[in-house]
Amino acid sequence: MSQKHETWGWMLAFDFFFAGMGAAMLLFAGIAELFVGSNLSTLGILAGAVFIACGAGLLVLELGRPFQALRVFMNPKAILTFGAWNMSIAIVAGLLLGTSWIELFPWFGIVGLRKILAILCVITGFIVATYPGVLLARHKSRPFWNGPGMMVLFLTSSLLTGLAAYIVCGWVSVAAPAVYALFPQLAAGLCAFQFVIWIGYLWIKSSGTTAREVAAVRRWTTGNYANPFRVGFMFLGTVVPLALFLIPNGVSIGIAGILAILGGLLMRNLVVYSGQDRTWLPGEEKYRSRLPHGDETFLQKVWTKQI
Amino acid sequence: MARYAMVIDTRKCSGCQSCTVACRVNNELPIDMIYNPVTTHGPIGKFPHVRMVHLPLLCMHCGNSPCVDACPTGASQQREDGIVWVEESKCVGCKTCIMVCPYGARVTNAKKGTVQKCNFCKDERVDQGKVPWCVQTCHQKARVFGDIEDKDSEVYRLVNTTKTTGRLLEELDTEPFVYYLY
Amino acid sequence: MSTKFDLEQEGVEVKKACCYFCHQNCGCLVYVKDGKILHFEGDTDYPTNTGGLCCRGNVNLIHLDHEARVNFPLKRKGEKGSGEWERITWEQAIDEIGTKLEEIRKQYGAEAVATAGGTSRTDDWARRRFMNLFGSPNGFHNSHLCWIPTFMIETAVYGWSPFEIDLGTSRCLVLWGQNPGISTLPEMSGVSALKAKGLKVIVIDPRFTETAAKADLWIPVRPGSDLALALAWINVIIYEGLADYEFVYEHCVGFDELTAHVEEFTPEWAEPLTGVSADIIREGARMYATNKPGNIQWGTAVDQIGKPAGATQHARAILRAITGNLDCPGADLLTGPSKEFVTDEEMELNEYLSEEQRAKQLGSDKFKLVTWPGYGRIAEITKKYWGKAPTAEWMCEAHPPSVYNAILTEDPYPVKALLVSATNPVNSYGESKKVLAALKALDLLITCDYWLTPTAMLSDYVLPMAGSFERPTITSTYGCSDFLMCSQRAIQPMYERHTDFEFWRDLGIRLGQKEHWPWETLEDAYFYRIKDLGYGVESYDEFVEFYRFHFPEREYFKYKERGGFATPSGKIEIYSSVLEELGYPPLPQYIPPVENEIDHPELAKEYPLVLTTGAGVMPFHHSEHFNIQELRFIRHEPHMEINPDTAAEYGIQEGDWVWIETRRGRIKQKASLTEGIRPGTVFTERGWWYPERDMRDPELGGCLESNANVLTSVADEDCDPMSGSWANRGLLCKIYKVQSSDRKEDK
Repeated sequence: MSQKHETWGWMLAFDFFFAGMGAAMLLFAGIAELFVGSNLSTLGILAGAVFIACGAGLLVLELGRPFQALRVFMNPKAILTFGAWNMSIAIVAGLLLGTSWIELFPWFGIVGLRKILAILCVITGFIVATYPGVLLARHKSRPFWNGPGMMVLFLTSSLLTGLAAYIVCGWVSVAAPAVYALFPQLAAGLCAFQFVIWIGYLWIKSSGTTAREVAAVRRWTTGNYANPFRVGFMFLGTVVPLALFLIPNGVSIGIAGILAILGGLLMRNLVVYSGQDRTWLPGEEKYRSRLPHGDETFLQKVWTKQI
Repeated sequence: MARYAMVIDTRKCSGCQSCTVACRVNNELPIDMIYNPVTTHGPIGKFPHVRMVHLPLLCMHCGNSPCVDACPTGASQQREDGIVWVEESKCVGCKTCIMVCPYGARVTNAKKGTVQKCNFCKDERVDQGKVPWCVQTCHQKARVFGDIEDKDSEVYRLVNTTKTTGRLLEELDTEPFVYYLY
Repeated sequence: MSTKFDLEQEGVEVKKACCYFCHQNCGCLVYVKDGKILHFEGDTDYPTNTGGLCCRGNVNLIHLDHEARVNFPLKRKGEKGSGEWERITWEQAIDEIGTKLEEIRKQYGAEAVATAGGTSRTDDWARRRFMNLFGSPNGFHNSHLCWIPTFMIETAVYGWSPFEIDLGTSRCLVLWGQNPGISTLPEMSGVSALKAKGLKVIVIDPRFTETAAKADLWIPVRPGSDLALALAWINVIIYEGLADYEFVYEHCVGFDELTAHVEEFTPEWAEPLTGVSADIIREGARMYATNKPGNIQWGTAVDQIGKPAGATQHARAILRAITGNLDCPGADLLTGPSKEFVTDEEMELNEYLSEEQRAKQLGSDKFKLVTWPGYGRIAEITKKYWGKAPTAEWMCEAHPPSVYNAILTEDPYPVKALLVSATNPVNSYGESKKVLAALKALDLLITCDYWLTPTAMLSDYVLPMAGSFERPTITSTYGCSDFLMCSQRAIQPMYERHTDFEFWRDLGIRLGQKEHWPWETLEDAYFYRIKDLGYGVESYDEFVEFYRFHFPEREYFKYKERGGFATPSGKIEIYSSVLEELGYPPLPQYIPPVENEIDHPELAKEYPLVLTTGAGVMPFHHSEHFNIQELRFIRHEPHMEINPDTAAEYGIQEGDWVWIETRRGRIKQKASLTEGIRPGTVFTERGWWYPERDMRDPELGGCLESNANVLTSVADEDCDPMSGSWANRGLLCKIYKVQSSDRKEDK
């Protein structure tokens, strides 16, 4: 009954986060497979697929009628349908690709299959890493989301968290040399990029074209998101990992990975919740603020009928 | 084919919220669901130089309806006569339509898990040749409903002869079919 | 074909009923099969609402069979207010109540039995008839706060109240303390339609109301200072030569005295008193006087300002007279009572109440206008001229605060029983704490109601009343219009509900009044009232089905044919001989607001803000409908309005719970900051109680917690000396934030 139910909540944020991270991991796995012919990390590939599945699971739970979830595949014009198909394919392709490196499975070592799976992973991984950003960007009445910028922000975070996830995988188990040598530097680069584009994004919005955008950004710069955003995401989730990634030390790189992942999760939550800030129509905000929340006594009252 | 539209005369609306209640009662909506709020904009200005407008809201039955495009299940649909409606059995409650609607016109039904919205009372009223409940209940006759493609209709006349006609958030290219006179 | 119900199926009848939640009585079509209602909607053919229904009208079916309704007669089992009831039969209830009333009459006299009424949503002629036959003059209503004093002053001045406004060709409408945009929606629709054609609308109200938002001129007068404004308008109209001299010289007496009397009341004089600039005062007066014909619509505000009320009503009445805006096309019409149907007054049997008992009417020694002394005189004059008198039930009432005082003090004599019909006095009468104490002090309290209100909870008997759709209705403006609009019942009352007519009739028969209650049903009584209209119908229902309305042809300038007005002089008495006879000033003397900083500087130090209470807000009506979720959802908490600048001085922010305190007590409501109210003024919503809470004594549904009447004043010296209207507005108050420690129930 409260107004929160009327907008997306943390489950969708977790979905975006998991799906983005997992999709980026499959994307990297596919690229490695196609261009280097190497396995980045079996654990990482499998984790990527599982992450997307987790995201999909949370998405289902977020539905009002979870048991009817299969219906989301029905409208080819809808971005969500497109995303659902891609997530499904990515999960299957990722699981098959990951298991193809495990002797136990019959398709172990079939190189041709791996290449096909890799192509699928690259395509669907890229799409899944990108589409939440596209989905949000198209919300014309949610001023914080609207515009191509959100796509870049989400894709960047997906790629960064994907890299970080591999780094963490490499920390806890074995991974390809590139994960140890190349990924921390790439991740550091993405951290730097992320830092810059977020400042840019907020600056563009706040000097924005419409008053609505300016109002929406205020929540991030001076409002209740300012601290989580500045301290949580920008400092602990971006700047600190940037520094730690550059320290050639397993522990510090591992911690950097974890911080970058947590930063991405925090950021998704902040972004999704900022979707509550629909462009209010004249007088609407006051109207809605005066409606009952749902826990008022008069709503709970049960009368005993005189019969 | 008709194209249904509504004209709301804010010069007449006194913000009594009768339409909100008429809609709720006749469509048997759960207590927390409101299809058509009436907001009060103002008093704007500084005492005693103030003005105030009441703004009845509802689904705009857009010509370019983002909710129908965004619905992954095809539950959100638009009839040829422009009425946007939700086929309840198909809705999974993903709230995508709620998020894309710039007008706050969609609400979840917590019990059913689906999203519902104003459908111009199509089954009970419009398809029976009657006006929607919110129109009938309005003492001020601030709401006018009709076929805007019919040149003899009141809605056509009002929209085309009133100088001060506007639509909400037109800049979003949703092509709303609810017109406001002010 | 509708998917919910088939209205074309065999056996479905369409009943022409009406909504019964306010006295607009909007027409409804009710689809009934086998005594059950399938569906209803606003009647598009009904002249006032034309199909429209307000928030309340829409919940008719929810109201009809709401879980909380009282459906059977209840007798108190435990202590007063314990909420323990025994279900009894109507026969037992009537018999026991009758016995007790007889005992009280025997021991203390008939005047020890009083009755309290609410809005005109009862057949109060039946109540009056019962009381007259029983021998008690102590029936009363909230009528003192709602039009009745205005009616009586205007009748004293012009011979009838010109409440019928002929808006069609009017060029200016003054809405004086009225907010039809919320309270009388059918009227508002006419106003906005005519405004589009050039009608000038002036709204006089401290708040920028829904109606003020549509006006050409908003005059934000200080609550209670309307008299200064009215006198200044008279001054402007006379001294700028805007009066209708031809009309005045031909038809009015006292204009010269008036001219001399108002000389000092210039707009500059009124400016500091009203808080309205002299320019705006002038602009308003000129707008009204020069856009002719014009109307001044009555609003409750002036009836609720206490001490200055009568003088203000008089001054307002004079405005019409000096501009000639009376009984001409487009102006306020003096229709007089109906000559054709049997009026409410003729149903009351007032002649049965002896002079001796009339003289005992509580408050009639102090406040003479709407008690027997004033009513008797005015009725005599109008009977001579019109052949009929105004309705006594309303226009001739015991003074409610005096009755509650008598209950508490036995001064001047004891009042032991109170029969409450369609009102919740704890929330609706002034100074709630006193009222509550009085209700508790009674020997016998009977409540006829739909709900277990705080008042019903304290009663010895609660009787279930038939409401909307369960009763026929004649709508005739408190029995004073020359037209009538009729509605039928859609269904017989559900469960064991009865109409109030049946209650008074049964009680009357129990007390030996059988010969005076010839009509077995309300329809029979109504038929008696309309049968001579000449429609050739055999029953009341037949009249409703085929005709429903009786609108006599509109006549203008009746005074020309009739040779003057229904006053002692036959002229409009600006200088009122009737008021003079009663011992009141014949011209309106200036009286400041009940509490103000000039006369009460010490008080103003402690209570620096001006308070206004009593205005209605959608979707409630008086103290009703808080228990209907579908309505409550729209406005689930009480709000007080305050200007942001004033709020800032007191550190109050939007949505804070705020104590509002007067000398009489304090209540809390939530702050709503708005530029639509004068700085330094506080407005509180009326009627609030919380039916969802514990309804037993002492909690009584929180009936004192947010109830504006805790703040109002009924002290004799604060009441209008003529009518005894008490003061809901123009009081002084202070405000402060509610601390979290005393906020246990702010959900």
